[in-house]
Amino acid sequence: NTLTEPVWDTVKRDLSRIVSNLKLVVFPNPHREDPGKALRDWDLWGPFFFIVFLGLVLSWSASVKKSEVFAVAFALLAAGAVILTLNVLLLGGHIIFFQSLSLLGYCLFPLDVGALICMLKDNVILKVVVVCVTLAWSSWAAYPFMSTAVNPRRKALALYPVFLMYVTVGFLIIAID
Amino acid sequence: MMSSNYTPLDNQNVTGSVPAAADSSGHVTVKFTESNLQTFPPTAAQGKISGGSGPPRDADDTFSKTATGSDDTQQSGWFQTFSIAAYKPYFDVDTSDVVERIIDSLFPFRGSFTEKIAEQPDLYGPFWICTTLIFVAASIGTFVTYLSHKLQNKEWDYDINLVTWSAGLFYGYVTIVPVCLYLILKYFSAPSGLVQLFCLYGYSLFVFIPALCLSVIPLPIVRWVVAGVAGFMSATFVALNLRNHIKSAGERWFLIVVGIFLLQLALALVLKLYLFTVTV
Repeated sequence: NTLTEPVWDTVKRDLSRIVSNLKLVVFPNPHREDPGKALRDWDLWGPFFFIVFLGLVLSWSASVKKSEVFAVAFALLAAGAVILTLNVLLLGGHIIFFQSLSLLGYCLFPLDVGALICMLKDNVILKVVVVCVTLAWSSWAAYPFMSTAVNPRRKALALYPVFLMYVTVGFLIIAID
Repeated sequence: MMSSNYTPLDNQNVTGSVPAAADSSGHVTVKFTESNLQTFPPTAAQGKISGGSGPPRDADDTFSKTATGSDDTQQSGWFQTFSIAAYKPYFDVDTSDVVERIIDSLFPFRGSFTEKIAEQPDLYGPFWICTTLIFVAASIGTFVTYLSHKLQNKEWDYDINLVTWSAGLFYGYVTIVPVCLYLILKYFSAPSGLVQLFCLYGYSLFVFIPALCLSVIPLPIVRWVVAGVAGFMSATFVALNLRNHIKSAGERWFLIVVGIFLLQLALALVLKLYLFTVTV
């Protein structure tokens, strides 16, 4: 009975779910090509944590207007995830709204790592390289899910906005110093 | 009074509120009506589960059905503006359609755009072209000011307001100007569909994307030329297509078209001044 268990048990269960979802989405594994299997047990804690973390890292990296940076980053990521999901739905794709939000949130993990590295080392060339690598990683993570969700003739229409959002975030990471 | 129907309490073992079954008449036969259960074989396209039968893909399948309302209840009245199904017809385009329309917007003197989109205007193009434009404008503007500051060894801070202001500018332009134009055209009895106008304006902004990319070149004369050419192309695109449309409705077109042309040029000017005027 989950109501009477110790808090640590609840937290541990949620954390292990986040970790397992992360492994499914972001790292290579044999279930990636089957979007039905991927992320059956989706949750929104993981995405929430990653979005807030990215906003915080960007805010810490900024030297001025820290709270504005956090606000813009958070709004961009949250609204971006919703708009991307709506885009797929409007193109006639078959996805489930919150599952898609969850997936897009998990795919932010590589960019989180990239942002953290960029905050710690302040070299422009390094930043560009790190951001390019993590951006490619994020796009690769999101690709199977998004591309199988729509009609093959509209695949590019569904994938381009995802790429655009990640490029925007990557640009923010590079530009904030 | 219904006292005749009550059995006195001490006569009964009352458990809960359900009276004990009468044990006077042997057993009680319970009769069920014939069940009307019909099994349907799973059809090909049925709501969310389009891959035939099988376990639901997600535990929250019921949630998804209400979220999209794709094949069942047509919500009536004003609710419809908020349902996704109401806007689906405007996104019914393939990749090849969108690419074709974009290429068409680069050739302003053909003037055949309005015919092409008359049957099937789409909102995908305008929205994502606008969004891309905002991103490109913000990033190029930032990059340009960064370069000029670094070349003069001055302090530079990222201006987050660039994103919000360019978003306001472009989204506002593509939303408000077509609405005003729609009203004006209605007044002059040469009506055009509102969505067609959104579509026209959205695609007309595409030419600014390559123009902005070219504006990175740090020579002022190059920037002015690029902005001028792009503004001219975009304005001619809108003006010519509008003229063809209004002419076919037989009304006087000159003033409206010239006004629209100048407005688009003004947009290009604002873009050039706001993003590329470097105040060090």
